[in-house]
Amino acid sequence: MRKYIVLLSIVLTTSVLAYITTYLEAIGLVGLDTRYLAKLFLTLAYNPLARELTVLSPEAVTSIVWDFRGIDTFYETVVFYMAIIAALAIYRGVGYPSIRSEKGLSIIVKVVTKLLIPINIAIAVSVAAHGHLTPGGGFQAGAALAVISVLLAVVFSASSFARVGVSLSKAIALRTVGLLAIAAVVFVPVVFNALTGVQAYLMQNYVKVDSEFAFPTHIQSQLISGTLIWFNLAEFLAVSFGFFVVFMLLSLREDVVREQLGEEHGH
Amino acid sequence: MDTSFIERFLIVLTLYNLLVTAAISLYGIVARPSITKKIISLTILGDSLNVLAILIGFRVFSVPPVLLKLDANPDELLNLAYSAVDPLPQALVLTAIVIGLAVNLFLIFLALQVYRLYGTLDSRKIKELRG
Repeated sequence: MRKYIVLLSIVLTTSVLAYITTYLEAIGLVGLDTRYLAKLFLTLAYNPLARELTVLSPEAVTSIVWDFRGIDTFYETVVFYMAIIAALAIYRGVGYPSIRSEKGLSIIVKVVTKLLIPINIAIAVSVAAHGHLTPGGGFQAGAALAVISVLLAVVFSASSFARVGVSLSKAIALRTVGLLAIAAVVFVPVVFNALTGVQAYLMQNYVKVDSEFAFPTHIQSQLISGTLIWFNLAEFLAVSFGFFVVFMLLSLREDVVREQLGEEHGH
Repeated sequence: MDTSFIERFLIVLTLYNLLVTAAISLYGIVARPSITKKIISLTILGDSLNVLAILIGFRVFSVPPVLLKLDANPDELLNLAYSAVDPLPQALVLTAIVIGLAVNLFLIFLALQVYRLYGTLDSRKIKELRG
């Protein structure tokens, strides 16, 4: 009974507060105009007229993520990377066991999952590769691909990772490759500057006021928006295999983990 | 184009509900003894704050912040800038979600390890344990 009174009072309080706020027009939340910063991002994301300021990507969110605020995103990727290193540190010494005869779910679920996995891969790759054109990008594509690791563990049992050729060390290596690829794209302008003497800046995407350096924006008239597609694909690799690592570790059987972690973990 | 009272009321109500959800999840993090429930509360807190950020960037009668044609003239660009939602909160939330997921997974690993070492996830009991 007490629970319902608390619930009712919360609902009533919020409703009354919302009514009063709306009546007094105390919050200008529903204004029709966009903020100045947003206008700037929206007009500059794809604007061939503002040659020195544009990103040449019609998708404003990806333009912000990988160009306007690109260094933010790079460090956020590092945070992501470190969180998984921390998780791996807890599981240090735990290896993936060799194949056991574990069975998994019923044949119907298995067949449906087998049909779903190629579709899942196709969606993930297309979300990553179209990140500069449509809503999406490396983060979302990585999360979409990581679903496969959960499906494999739940439907086919944890031993199926070895069967499809994904091992723990391979996944760790691939996510490192992803992060290194991001770093490589960041440093390309600097290397270009050192080799040719043309002015170029770290993480530069398209021409700037005093620099004519630009990543190729088109491949055979297909818009790739300079660095954005490479960042998205590299991030896709880093995120998806980062999640693969943690979901593989989480899907390990408890007795196997305890056995490998040693005596002091026994309860 | 003016919004009706009921539309504004619903948006403000959503805002208050998000704040209440955040407050309840903060209570869950602080007051619940179970580490599992603390982690669940933390994810709810993160999600409600993410939705709050998206709501701050929201504009009524708006379109997604994506330019639909590549040969747009300056007028069409300005039209997009005046009618689209704010893309900056979306960009920040997008990364926040993935990083939140990674951090939550790390916390789950920690909780698992705590359970293996102490045999309980009750923070009151863990506090009393020595060694």
